[in-house]
Parts: sequence; structure tokens; C-alpha cells
Amino acid sequence: MPLHVEIQLLAVVVAAACALPGVFLVLRRVALISDAISHSVLLGIVLAFFWVRDLTHPALILGATATGILTVALVEALHRSGRVKEDAAIALVFPALFSLAVLLIARYAGQIHLDVHSVLLGEIALSPFRRWEVGGVDLGPRSLWMMGGILILNAGALLLLWKELKVSTFDPALAASLGFSPVVLHYAFMTLVSVTAVGAFDAVGSILVVALMIAPPATAWLLTDRLSVMVGLSVALAVAAAVTGFWAAWLLDVSIAGSMAAMTGVGFVLAFILAPDRGVLASLRRRARQRVEFSGMLLAVHLLHHEGTADESVETRVDHLQKHLRWSPDFARRVIDRAERVGWVRREGRERLRLTPLGRETAKVGMIR
Amino acid sequence: MSNGMPPSRDDAPPGHPRGRTWNRAGDDPDPSVPALEVDDLTVAYREQPVLWDVDLRIRQGSATAIVGPNGAGKTTLIRSILGLVPRAAGRVRILGSPLEDVRRQVAYVPQRGSVDWDFPTSVEDVVLMGTYGHLGWFRRPGKREREAARRALERVEMAAFAHRQISELSGGQQQRVFLARALVQEARVHFLDEPFQGVDARTERSIMDVLHELRDRGDTVIAVHHSLQTVPEYFDGVVLLNVRLIAAGPVDAVFTDENLRTAYGGRIPYRSPTSPTSPPPPGASPAAGPPPPLEG
Repeated sequence: MPLHVEIQLLAVVVAAACALPGVFLVLRRVALISDAISHSVLLGIVLAFFWVRDLTHPALILGATATGILTVALVEALHRSGRVKEDAAIALVFPALFSLAVLLIARYAGQIHLDVHSVLLGEIALSPFRRWEVGGVDLGPRSLWMMGGILILNAGALLLLWKELKVSTFDPALAASLGFSPVVLHYAFMTLVSVTAVGAFDAVGSILVVALMIAPPATAWLLTDRLSVMVGLSVALAVAAAVTGFWAAWLLDVSIAGSMAAMTGVGFVLAFILAPDRGVLASLRRRARQRVEFSGMLLAVHLLHHEGTADESVETRVDHLQKHLRWSPDFARRVIDRAERVGWVRREGRERLRLTPLGRETAKVGMIR
Repeated sequence: MSNGMPPSRDDAPPGHPRGRTWNRAGDDPDPSVPALEVDDLTVAYREQPVLWDVDLRIRQGSATAIVGPNGAGKTTLIRSILGLVPRAAGRVRILGSPLEDVRRQVAYVPQRGSVDWDFPTSVEDVVLMGTYGHLGWFRRPGKREREAARRALERVEMAAFAHRQISELSGGQQQRVFLARALVQEARVHFLDEPFQGVDARTERSIMDVLHELRDRGDTVIAVHHSLQTVPEYFDGVVLLNVRLIAAGPVDAVFTDENLRTAYGGRIPYRSPTSPTSPPPPGASPAAGPPPPLEG
């Protein structure tokens, strides 16, 4: 396989593996815990390395996963003490564990390949050079195998525990009363997050882990209100960010991991502005429409108010409305056009407006409300 | 009818006639066994008692209001009975057994505000969650469960909303969805935490109709309730709580000025049942007679 295909394949697998648990991180409003875990796993890697003295030993993954879970437990314990809020607890725990790891590396492992820069940004371009060979046969990049396994693990766990995760995320009290312990589910889920963070961290670094776990699900949530669709969209968005990120990095000659992370952000910004229902543009459009609708009601009430009065001939003049209701000529025209279209008013001559029976009813109802 | 079937602090005599409308899995529990027995229940939060030595008996086939001032521990009482907050001391029996053995007989409707209504899911899906307890781990709801969810939604007049996103619902509709979710649990003892909070008068009436239906077929309804005015109309029994148990029993015996004054520390936000403008006289059951006209 050509190198660039291997890198992209790895990126796609990492992206999908991260996005799956990311959906529930976002829904449980614990997005930041992914940041904490993806940093503090370094301590587990370092400690396990001191134990086995081999950077490729599987014990490193076990150690890293254990510190991931330790992070969650420490955050929870601090939070539960009632003296620290949850966000502060996260910000207290992971820098402590991460800095401890950095100190240990600097002091005792300076000569080996465990440098802080590649921990943060990873070096996905180098991942394919670490191969997995069995009996002299090259089976491909080791990270690809590991992340493929983690992807299958995550997909399997989500399928198996779909309804349990759903109910314990939506309504933990109900889940508990039905006999699905939210604590057990929480730690099972956080174990998945830790394993994923460890595997992905090795391949792409901790910043991209957070970007791939959080941004695609947050983007998907703007685009759908079905959980299953949200999961599918999250995976698709993460994969798209991975592939476009790779080519953007190639074109611009920049860090691949950084470029992929940036692409997850680009996807979010696009959805934030353009999402059909929840996007900024959609809500601006909605507000403008509501303003015209409401102003049409104002117009109807105004006309009703002056119907049959002495000043009716003045108050129903189109040019008077601009003064009375302080509408710009352009806005007044839009309001009147719409009111005519829905049959509330009709024009008499060029200058005068008259309520239709429907408009009269609408105005009366509108005033009661 | 369950006229005069209030909770009592003694073991109640048997003999409640059941108006079962459908059969449910599991054996009928002996009707003489109390629906709920609580002995010496104490719950503390950081060594501060939130509930202090509560003893309670509530008989099957009754509707009971849990009433008390803010901070009285009403929600905590329900949550500790359901094992959602740890008990410092005390024993709880539901239908004569520990909770773990009768989980499927127990339904819980938490406060509407306790969940995130922006969660990406539909009304039908929320109701289906009520079937998860019967399904157990790993099994997914199927055709039968969907059918049960549809029936429950019809009963709370929400069938037309089955495929709506839950964030589009009004407060009253959310509450009815929660009630439908409790109905598909096919439980016998139903705990509700402020089912009428933020709900209009018409919805309140239709929720109460469903709860009375449950009671009339022999189920037990236990609800945290805020409006003292409607206690005599809606409920057979009342639990007056203010950290300690002030009184518990039939509405006409327990819902007195004196007890209310004790519970609320002298200020009763309500005219007593004996005052002339109060709803039905003591002894009247809400199930007897035609329902009062709807307000609004």
C-alpha cells in the first residue's frame, strides 16, 4: 500500500473510532473529560514503560487505560466533595497527572523516544513506519491494527449497550430505578473513552483526539434530532475531516494532525452558520419572518382600531403607516404585501388599506391573545 | 371503587376489589400486603438529616400525596425509597419485598426538569425507555414494546406526537410523555415527583384521570404534590412531611389545620378542608361523582 493511502486509512479509522464514544461524551456534557483523559494517559504510559522497559509492550496500553479511568474517578471524587465544581475538578486533575508524566520523562527517560511534542500533536505521518511483522511477513502499520481493533470494540459496545447508554444519558434516575446502574455504565463507557484515547493518542496525538471526539458529534447535533442519525453523521463528519485534513496538509505542507483538527472545526463552523434548523442563518431568517408576521398583526389591529372613526381616511393611508408605526418604506411594503397575500387587507385605490373580514377576525383574536 | 381506601400507619385489612383492565405478567401480590412500608428511614447529607426517622405504611389501591414545605425532603423520600440516594438508616419494603426483588413492579416519574429535553430523541423513544426494565440488559425493544408504547401514548392523548422531537413539546406534553413512559412499565406502585408542575388545568385533570384509573384497578399511586387545595379532591391519603413525618393517613383524618400548621411552621398556604369554600367534604372520594368542570 502506498504511504499516503496507509496514512489516510489510519486517519479514517482513528476518526471513526473517536467519533463513536464522542457522541455520548457530548450528550452527557462531559466533553472536557476527553481532554483530561487524552493528556493524563501519558502518565500511565510512562509508568508502564518503567515497568516493562519496552515502548511497544501492550502493558503500556493497559497502564494508560488505567490512568484514564483514574482521571475520571479523581474528577468525580473532587466534584463529589462539594468543594470544587466539575469543570474546575477536570482542570485540576489532568494537568497534575500530565505534568507528573512530563517530569518523569525529563528526569528518567530523556534518552528514549517519548517526547512531549509528539505526545501533543502526534505524528501520524510516522505511524506507518512502525510495522507489525509476524514471521517476517509485513502485516501493515501497527497503529492501524490497534485502531481497527478499537473501532470494532467501540462499535460493538455501542450496539450492545445502545439502549442502556441512551437511557442512562437521558435520565440517569430512571435508568437506576430500572436496574441499569448509571455508575457501572459510566465507568464502562469511560473505559472505552480511555482505551480509544490511548490508541488514538499513540497515532495522532492528544489534540486531535479531542478534536475528533467532540467536534463531529457537536456538529452532528446541530444537524439532526435523532440519536442514531447523530452517531452516523458524527462518524461521517469525522472521516470527512480526516481525509480533507490530510489533503489540506499535503497542499499547504503543514502538520497532518493539526490540519485534520482544523477541518473538524471548519465543519462545525459551517454547520453552526448553515444548519437548516439550528444554524445562525436559519434563525435570523426565522426572526425576520416572525417580525413581518407580527407587524402584519399590528397593521390589522391598527386598521381595526380606526375603522369607522373620523380619522379613518388618514389612518389607513399607506404613507401614514410609515409615520404612525415608524416603519421604513421598504419594510412597510413587505408587511403590506404579506398582509394582502394572506388576505387580511386589500388596497383601495393606490393609497388606502381596508381590512377584509378575515383580517378583522385575526385582529380581534390577536388582541385577546 | 376504592372509596375510603387510604393509606394507614397500621397494616390495612385486606379485601380491596380489583377492577383489572388487563392482565400483567407476574402474580398478583396479596392485597393485604402494604404497597409501601418504611421503617426508621433517615437520610443525611453531609451529616445533616434531610429525613429523620420516617415510618410509613401505604396500602395498595390508594392514591397518596406527599406534602410539605420546600426543603421538607419530599423528593428525597421518594428517591431514597427507590435507592437513588443512600439511606443513613432504615428499612424499605415495597409490596412486602426489598426493592431489588420488585423493581419491575415499581415505576418512577422524576421531575420534568430533571432531564435534558434537547436530547436527540423522539416521544416514542422516550416512552419505550419504560419497557427497558422488562427487557433487561442488551435486549432491544421490538414490535410488542412499540405496541405498548402506542397504547400508552393514546391513553395520555399524545399518540399524534409519537414521532415528534421531544424539545418541541410543551410542559404539559412533556409530563404526559413521562406518564406514558411510566404506564408501559406496567408497574403496580407508581411514584411521581410533582407531576403537575408547569402543567395547565386541562392536562392536570387528564393526568389525574389516568392516575385514578390506575388506583381503581388496584395500583398504588404516590405523588409529591404542591397544591394543597387539590389534595382532598385528588388523593385518598396524605403524607405530611417536614424532615420528620408530621402525620400520615386518610385525607379526612390527617389533613387538618393543626397538622398543616405543624408541617408548615404556623403558616398554612391553604384554607383547611373544613372551611366553607373547600372542595369535597371529608370522606368523599375523588373517584365518586362526576369530575368537576374544567377550568379555562
